[in-house]
Amino acid sequence: MMAAPAVPKSWYLPSKPHKFCPGCGHGIVLKALGEVIDELDIQNDTIFGCDIGCSLLSWDFFNCDSTQTHHGRTTPVMVGIKRARPELVCIGYMGDGGGYSIGSQHLLNSAVRNEKITLILVNNTNYGMTGGQMAPTTLPGQKTETSPFGRDPQLTGYPTMGPEFLAELTSEGAFIARATVSKYRQLKKHLKNAIINQMEGNGFSFVEVLSTCPTNWKTNAQQTWAFLEDQMEKQFPVGEFKSPWGKGVK
Amino acid sequence: MKSRSFNKGFIYIIHRGGVGFTAKHTARVIEAFIGEYASGKSELAINRALELKSQGRRVTLVDLDTVEPFYTLRPLKSKLESMGIQMIGFSQADSFGLGETGAMLDPRARWALMNEGDILLDIGYGVHGAQALNLVEGVDQTPELKVMAVINQSRPMTSTTRDIQDYLLSLGRVDGIISNTHLGDETTIEIIEQGNHIIMEAAAALDIPVYYVAIDKKLQTEGLENRFPVPVKYINRFMPNAIW
Amino acid sequence: MGKIIGEPKKAFITGNEAVAWACLVSGAEIMFGYPITPQNEVMHYWTRLAPKYDRRFLQTEDELSAGFTTCGAVQSGVKAFTATAGPGNVLMQEPFGMAEAMRLPLVAMIQQRGGPSSGTVIYSQQEVTLTTFGGNGEGHRIVYSTSGHQEIYDYLIKAFNVAWKYRFPVFVLGDGYQAKMREPLEMYDPEDHGIELVKPYPLIGLGGKIGEEREPSHLCNIYSMEEELYDVVMKMAAEYEAITPQLMEWEEEFCEDADILIVSHGVVARAAYDAVKALRSQGIKAAYFRPISLRPFPAQQLRDAIAKSGAKKMLVAESAYGQFERLLKQEIYGETIKIEHLFMPGVGIIDYDVIEKVKSIL
Repeated sequence: MMAAPAVPKSWYLPSKPHKFCPGCGHGIVLKALGEVIDELDIQNDTIFGCDIGCSLLSWDFFNCDSTQTHHGRTTPVMVGIKRARPELVCIGYMGDGGGYSIGSQHLLNSAVRNEKITLILVNNTNYGMTGGQMAPTTLPGQKTETSPFGRDPQLTGYPTMGPEFLAELTSEGAFIARATVSKYRQLKKHLKNAIINQMEGNGFSFVEVLSTCPTNWKTNAQQTWAFLEDQMEKQFPVGEFKSPWGKGVK
Repeated sequence: MKSRSFNKGFIYIIHRGGVGFTAKHTARVIEAFIGEYASGKSELAINRALELKSQGRRVTLVDLDTVEPFYTLRPLKSKLESMGIQMIGFSQADSFGLGETGAMLDPRARWALMNEGDILLDIGYGVHGAQALNLVEGVDQTPELKVMAVINQSRPMTSTTRDIQDYLLSLGRVDGIISNTHLGDETTIEIIEQGNHIIMEAAAALDIPVYYVAIDKKLQTEGLENRFPVPVKYINRFMPNAIW
Repeated sequence: MGKIIGEPKKAFITGNEAVAWACLVSGAEIMFGYPITPQNEVMHYWTRLAPKYDRRFLQTEDELSAGFTTCGAVQSGVKAFTATAGPGNVLMQEPFGMAEAMRLPLVAMIQQRGGPSSGTVIYSQQEVTLTTFGGNGEGHRIVYSTSGHQEIYDYLIKAFNVAWKYRFPVFVLGDGYQAKMREPLEMYDPEDHGIELVKPYPLIGLGGKIGEEREPSHLCNIYSMEEELYDVVMKMAAEYEAITPQLMEWEEEFCEDADILIVSHGVVARAAYDAVKALRSQGIKAAYFRPISLRPFPAQQLRDAIAKSGAKKMLVAESAYGQFERLLKQEIYGETIKIEHLFMPGVGIIDYDVIEKVKSIL
């Protein structure tokens, strides 16, 4: 008999096994997040908000209260809940399309207002759920269904550098980082800090997570990992961009 | 410094070849009407303008409402002009195509105090209170200026002595008060009396004079003036016709 | 909640201020808003009042955000509202659609302005279709069309109660005239008028230990299967229809015997009422009917008015090009009364306009 795999206590078991594609990075992000929720003992106080897109597959992922929103609108829903009930821990979960494209005005303005919420944005360089279209984060030259000859920066610009611009926009108290599913311990550390920062009431917290999408990239396991580590991490440097505690502390 | 600037205004007017700005004419009336949203500023400014006009004086009425420019003098501009009042402020037609509100200042309003004769400034409501007078050049050099706060005690945020005091303090400069309590068509003398009593209490606490109590002409009766401890001015209501 | 007004009192007030006060006495904890004329003074006055009563305000980056933050706040169990107009109402149809789908007790004040597009900032009744049936849903919303400040005040209090009792989004449909005009209002604490305020409750953030004391609350507004969505919408429709008898609001006069029935809504009804009285004094048997709730529409009541009045003609008067008339026609389908109309899109209607129109068609 096979032993059940170790899962975070805050996972909602009736929704497992989850519905993400094999090789998708979402599961890794959500495992790290689940462990953080456990370690901070905030399962009963967490509101998990899901954007539309693949992120939505996580809507019943946790044994926490959660809410579905509209594409790009998770940020204002989290803002509304947090403003109404500041004691709740509001975690918005979205993709690069939802955060950087259709919901960019909400992301930008909630960052400027230093809203005390935590946003996790999963960057897989394309619109996964709708079938692999170009996203704000698609790499130059990368083929997608709407950039069939590769993204041409002359026509469609360069990838959106989220943490970079958010670090510039935000004021004291914000926590801004970029993580990758290829570095689990760092990913978990950033997620934890982004939630502690909200709980301490310091300011806006944001973690972009570089993730994988073999289904739309049409890559095997080796190619998938190579794209993530060699190409994405070159375009999108990982690390902490802003922290209320100073670099390396916590 | 003050008097030198004042002389500059004097010279400016002489240069325009106008009536001139002799000592006799320093008794010109310069009044700014400030107060809460819907307190009756425009109404009282219009009535004051017509009163001065009827005394054979030259009157300029200036629309300085930049927060709420809809329910203002704009729709009444041509009517007032036909009654001999010089109007500074845009007409509705002037704001054509300006979209959202036309919350804008007629440049002539900035120099309004350089006009001859009596000047009445209708200042819109807003968090800046009397500070809106900064929009007008030469305020500091105009000793005749009286900043009049219009108070309607039936307005929910100026309904108690305490509220009125707080409100007056928030305005900045206030030289005097016009007591303008009314309830539109449902106004009674009792409502005005009660409102005036509360306004006078607040005014006394702050040592600000109440210039007069405004009463709709429709309510005028013999000896009504004797019921009030301050002068009574009867006014006509023009603003109900003013919405856009 | 302590008393806010105390002794009921008459105040001289604008409609937008009436909105702010009404939401205050209704127990609204927070407003989310974005500037657009002619509703700005709702925010101006809410922000002046809120700190005194420990209430909150957030000026959001746009109307999408104002609508969605309101959705979030009500999900967490707090009475919240927003206010908008015109193009802002267009943007808010997205969050309003979510409120409809998730049965969120959202309350919004709509101060109609002229359209299409940015139109005018002044006045119109051109947001009837948008407010009643906007979005990609079935119009499972409650819409009250007010005609003056007292109704703005009374119906906003009702809006919060109806929203939290039945969990459908509720809209109070005013207009630029009502927003800006000044008239006396009787202000009161709802309890003093025998109105019990419905208590808000959370849909998420329920407290207690999840997994031990309760299951998690997973709110859903997207469905994978047609059949799933079908069940949801049909259930919603059934629940909406079941409560409609309690929600109907209308006004009528002289409907016992008339040659012409004048139907209007909102501020135009004031002109229509004056016109009916004037026509009666001139010997013309006119009757007055006014739906106050546009969703649900008092269709049976209007059919009854047609029947008992014996009127052969109906005049529909509105400051739009037939939005209200379309709504009315679909609701009284099958009636044979001849329907005439006075459409003045984006323009105010006074009694004279109605009287002249009646004389031209009788």
